[in-house]
Amino acid sequence: MAEGVDTPTAILANAAAALRESPFDDISYRSLGDAVGVSERTVYRHFPTRSHLLEGVAGWIESAEFPLPPFVTIPQFQDASRARFLAFDSSPAFAFVCARAASISPTGESEATFFTRALVAMLATNHPSVNERDLRRVAATLRYFASAHFWARMRTGFDMSAPEISDVFDRTVVQALSGLPTLSRTSR
Amino acid sequence: MSATSEPDDRSAGDVNRTQEAILAAYAELIEELGTDDVSFRLIARRAGVGERTIFRNYATRVDLLLAVAAWIERRIFPRQDSPSIFDMPLTIRAAMESYDHRPELAHVVAETTMRGISGATPSPRRAMLEEMIDAEVPSLGDAERRAIVAALAHLDSAATWVTFRREFGMTRSDIADAAAWAAEAVLDPIRSRVG
Repeated sequence: MAEGVDTPTAILANAAAALRESPFDDISYRSLGDAVGVSERTVYRHFPTRSHLLEGVAGWIESAEFPLPPFVTIPQFQDASRARFLAFDSSPAFAFVCARAASISPTGESEATFFTRALVAMLATNHPSVNERDLRRVAATLRYFASAHFWARMRTGFDMSAPEISDVFDRTVVQALSGLPTLSRTSR
Repeated sequence: MSATSEPDDRSAGDVNRTQEAILAAYAELIEELGTDDVSFRLIARRAGVGERTIFRNYATRVDLLLAVAAWIERRIFPRQDSPSIFDMPLTIRAAMESYDHRPELAHVVAETTMRGISGATPSPRRAMLEEMIDAEVPSLGDAERRAIVAALAHLDSAATWVTFRREFGMTRSDIADAAAWAAEAVLDPIRSRVG
């Protein structure tokens, strides 16, 4: 295995590589141990259940394959989301694993992802006069329509490709934002 | 909880008495143990059938999991028949509340719909939404019609509850409010175009 990589990371990298060949449920702990050169037992020690493994692999995939482009404005957020839909389209097996991992009962303390925090911060900056409650429901809506969940449902349930998915996403973003007062500086 | 008039809109409704016992036992164990990773032996004992009976009905663990997810969505989280697409915010609000009462089961439903074509159908009520929108707002263009149906189908799902709870730490009523609000926002542009 690659030098300088710790065992859990090596396990996750191998699991991600195996996803190119087989579905997540067919990847065995034994084969992961073999690939990394550790015992099956060691794999279990790092990932006590398949839920732990699923979350771990999804985290690895998110950072390695679907890095989030930075955004500080709404149009940049939309661009970032569209870029991710395209990336999901080109690696569907990875994207479905991310959508699954974001759906299971969390194995540890669940906390907001970086994406969510960036989105909330962006909205708060762009719409400083909006109250907390309105801000949160707009943020939740935008976050949910920018998610791997959304991509997965549109792809499987509606046979949509990334550009079509982006179209539904854009329309929903416009609607969700339409109620918000914009920056209170001189109205143009 | 299952006091809904039930049109046969889901194929998942075709379970026989043995399958019903197996799926009910499995759902019960998922809630008790907090995981869907339950042994066939335990499910068999709870259902009062032999382990082989489970295998005969559900050849693999994944088959069983998909069957239980469909059963849960139909039995535990049924939707009221709504006469109008504009009732969807209310339907979604009620759905969010019922997911919040049974979190483990909501997670199972959410996860199995995210497996692509080999998983559970992610938009089981799509046809119903299309019928309602065609009847009430027939003048919509294709792209707009599709976007509204897709957005409502996305909101009317367990994944909404999972995401709002997990990413935003929302309470039951916050989730219900936010999801209903989002559905209202999706419907806003077509309100004036009814008929």
